[in-house]
Amino acid sequence: MLYAPIALIFIPVFSALVIYLVKARFIHYLALIAQAAMTVLAILYYQTYTGNFADTFFVIGGWDARIGISLINDPLSLSFVFLSLFTWWMVLIYTFNTKQDNRTFLFFLMFLQGVFLGLLQTNDLFNMFVFLELTTIIVTILIAFKKAGDSFRAGIYYLLLNTSGVLMFLIGIILLYFTFGTINVNTIQEAMQAGVLVTGEEYAVRFAYVLLMAGISVKAALFPVFTWLPKAHGVAMSAISGLLSGLVVKGGLYLFIRMNEMFAGAQIDYTLFFYVVGALTAVIGVMFALTQKDMKQVLAYHTISQVGIVMMGLAHYDEQTAFGGLLHIFNHALFKTLLFLGAGIIIKAYNNKKIKEIRGVMRTMPVVSIFMIVGMLSITGAPFFNGFISKSIIKYGIQASGIKYWILFIVNIGTATSFIKMSQVFFGPKVMTLRIKEMGQRIALMTLAFSCVILGNLYIPISEGFFGIDVSHVSAVKWEAFFDYAVALILGFCFYKLVIEKDPRAVRKIREFNVSFETANYLFMLYVAVMVVYFVLL
Amino acid sequence: MIKQFVLIGLLAILFAVFFVSMQDIQELYNTFGKDYIAASGFADTGSRNLVTAILLDYRLFDSLFEAGILLIAVSGVIWISKHEIEEKNAQFMLDKFNTPDLFVTFSRLVYPLMLAFGFYVIINGHVSPGGGFQGGAIVATAILILYYIDADKETNIGLIVTIEKILYIAILLVASLSIVTRGEFFTNFFALDASADTKAIYLVLLNVMIGMKVALGLWTIFTAFLKEGR
Repeated sequence: MLYAPIALIFIPVFSALVIYLVKARFIHYLALIAQAAMTVLAILYYQTYTGNFADTFFVIGGWDARIGISLINDPLSLSFVFLSLFTWWMVLIYTFNTKQDNRTFLFFLMFLQGVFLGLLQTNDLFNMFVFLELTTIIVTILIAFKKAGDSFRAGIYYLLLNTSGVLMFLIGIILLYFTFGTINVNTIQEAMQAGVLVTGEEYAVRFAYVLLMAGISVKAALFPVFTWLPKAHGVAMSAISGLLSGLVVKGGLYLFIRMNEMFAGAQIDYTLFFYVVGALTAVIGVMFALTQKDMKQVLAYHTISQVGIVMMGLAHYDEQTAFGGLLHIFNHALFKTLLFLGAGIIIKAYNNKKIKEIRGVMRTMPVVSIFMIVGMLSITGAPFFNGFISKSIIKYGIQASGIKYWILFIVNIGTATSFIKMSQVFFGPKVMTLRIKEMGQRIALMTLAFSCVILGNLYIPISEGFFGIDVSHVSAVKWEAFFDYAVALILGFCFYKLVIEKDPRAVRKIREFNVSFETANYLFMLYVAVMVVYFVLL
Repeated sequence: MIKQFVLIGLLAILFAVFFVSMQDIQELYNTFGKDYIAASGFADTGSRNLVTAILLDYRLFDSLFEAGILLIAVSGVIWISKHEIEEKNAQFMLDKFNTPDLFVTFSRLVYPLMLAFGFYVIINGHVSPGGGFQGGAIVATAILILYYIDADKETNIGLIVTIEKILYIAILLVASLSIVTRGEFFTNFFALDASADTKAIYLVLLNVMIGMKVALGLWTIFTAFLKEGR
């Protein structure tokens, strides 16, 4: 069982290679078999090590831990492993077909899974860099998979911006290696906690922190370096958009948690800075989302705003609030994948992406509509759905500070507005569409919708059992919860009717606002420079 | 214009801070990793070239995925350069008539030398500078020269890609053989106290396989680019 992480990394890689090489008719099913094997293995692994996660540590090749590469798991990484396995199951079931061309797609998809699982479980900074780089390249290919002009452009935009971010990460690693003589995360963490940092060393460590955070921010699509995300998600296939929004963006947030754990001893106060960044990300993401007309663009900008909300939670030392952010990562993964997959079905049936031109989905596709509505209720934070739980935890955590509370409230109203706008597609008479009867797509949507509801109601035992954190103070059976939600909905409806629907000039201006690659790089440099001034010089 | 000046200002800030932190680091430079590998690298891995020692033994896990980056890049290029419609209006970029005769003749002379040098670098990766990745790139360059000599040369990309993938699987298998012989993942499959000559068998084997994989991968990439140019 000790070597299960290696198996989790290499089972998908091997199956990807076999699927690519063998031209047999039923080879596609190998992906499902591999996925099932990994799921069983991960559950057994979790059962073996519950309670004593320190034992999961091992060094590949049996070398000194400070020289070789080590892997380690804890509740955090294992919960991400389970989330990844689940999301990949959904995407696999959703896209599953036995066409020969699909083999290439499966190859990249399964390889990405192995690499992503490696990124979650590694305990070595350079290993992390290799996995980040590999993730970037595979995601680029998946974005450009349709081979249309705009998907190439989005792919290259993604590749270049993320590579510059990952290079910053690399320079940060080099600085840390110079200072500590090792790149083992645990060893560096212990060295920092032991308080061996001398005044001179502090400069280098803080600078390394800034560089690592710069790379992570690009990956996690924080303000102002989120510009790649709407471009990429707008053109990629719906299943890939779901996977990217739901999970791969979360890779950056996972590293954010991990790196802040590592730098805990260096006494860097990151809470205020990243709270502000998170709030800006949330507000600006929602602002752009309100103005969009394309269904997938709306969802993509909402990914940005939800990442901002996660950041608003994570940027607290208080355990409860940070846990709210962490829980929102999981909830967002579920409902955003659901929304993207559902939107994919609708877009394919209507052969149209414009919200204004799609009508009558409720009558035409009742089953899909119900699942989409579940997703919308979750993302807007309706009681008894999973989005409500994490947003409430964050809300409780920041209640003391008035301005923080109001920012979250404004973001909630914006989210409500934009999903009221999107819910127009359900109304209207029945239309004749292409009949697409694919069992796999229905199953994937159903599972995701059910897990949204389950997590929204059984959150107390789940967070208690997995993370040992008591969240029983959050309850949906309170009139305040319904009151808050109703207020957000009503204000959102008013805002939609009074402003957004009339499409004034300001809205058009924001919609047409495009950040070129050049400007994105300026913004990135500006972001790094501000971080340097804030974290190193002050 | 203003943008450019702002950018220069930002870069100046970054460089200044980098410079300041580098000044401090010179006194605080922690040499643990360097000393450890210099002291026990040869004894542990049997490789006189310490870069190879790190690449193929201490951190073999990384190298597997670095080879994976090339693998993915190759598959991606192949997928993206595959068109349903044959486009014939573009001229073949290495037009035979435009290549000077002197260049062709000289290429014929250099080609075998380059190939031999590439193989030398691959095989001696554990005693002298070089190794699978570098030697593979040299071999691939030698094959690229072949296109100058014979511009009409046809290559079966599908076959090369298949061989490349099989080689990658073989590399993974050889790398994980140590779990059977020693109970440890991704290291030399000979025992830790084996003589340096014995350990060299493993190093040469892995270097040759990585070299071939890299050479085939690069060959595929530029063949795909040439086809795009045609």
